[in-house]
Amino acid sequence: MANRPASRSFTAVDAVIRVAIVALVLGTAYIHSTLGGLLFTLNAAGYVVAAIAMIAPIALASRFRWVVRAGLIGYALTTIVGWAIQGPYYSTAYLAKAIEVALIALVAVDFVRFDGNPISVVRRELATGMAFLRARRAGAAA
Amino acid sequence: MKRLATTLALVALAAVLAACSGTSAAPTPAPSTDPDALKISSKDLAFSTDTLVAPAGKAFQIVYDNQESAPHNVAIYADQGYSQKVLVEEPFSGPKVVTYSVPALDAGTYYFRCDLHTNMKGTIEVK
Repeated sequence: MANRPASRSFTAVDAVIRVAIVALVLGTAYIHSTLGGLLFTLNAAGYVVAAIAMIAPIALASRFRWVVRAGLIGYALTTIVGWAIQGPYYSTAYLAKAIEVALIALVAVDFVRFDGNPISVVRRELATGMAFLRARRAGAAA
Repeated sequence: MKRLATTLALVALAAVLAACSGTSAAPTPAPSTDPDALKISSKDLAFSTDTLVAPAGKAFQIVYDNQESAPHNVAIYADQGYSQKVLVEEPFSGPKVVTYSVPALDAGTYYFRCDLHTNMKGTIEVK
């Protein structure tokens, strides 16, 4: 935790990016929710959960927002790859994929603005986890 | 800042929903329907039949009645792997009736499905 970057104030640009992310997530969730069938409905539900996690003003969500961002990028990428493999290729699908590509780009921007280099974030979290484990071991030995 | 974020959220959401609510280009209904046209419908994510029978060597029509809001199509393929397209048009939301004009086919078995919900499928026996 001590290695985390100093918290920065939430600017108007941050607000625009965050709102755009949520709008894009809800947009693709809406499209998938109209398609019918379990797979599309679950996909839409996943996006709605991600939208909530992106803005939830609770400490745990804020602390691990980087996980939410990485998860959302992975989720959107998986959706795009799944569609690329199976199709179908028609206008509504192209619109949904365009939204998802824009979403990935914006989330990546949000990630860099708040968390910095993704590799550094992973290193930092691993170091935090190791420090936690060492402290527990030391406590148990005492 | 909260007011700005809320306003932006509403504007962005309205824009997205407006973009999403537009109907996609669906197959244009044929000007006249052949009385011998094959008929198929769908409801609750299922086609009304899994077998259609069509004449060989003669163009024919399929009247497809999508009775639900979920978008579907009746895409026809020459192979069971659904790789050789015979007639594939965009899925459309119902309730709506569309007439597909299918070109003349050689005798044999052809395969149809909804490209969005691939468990909705059947065969067309051309003879």
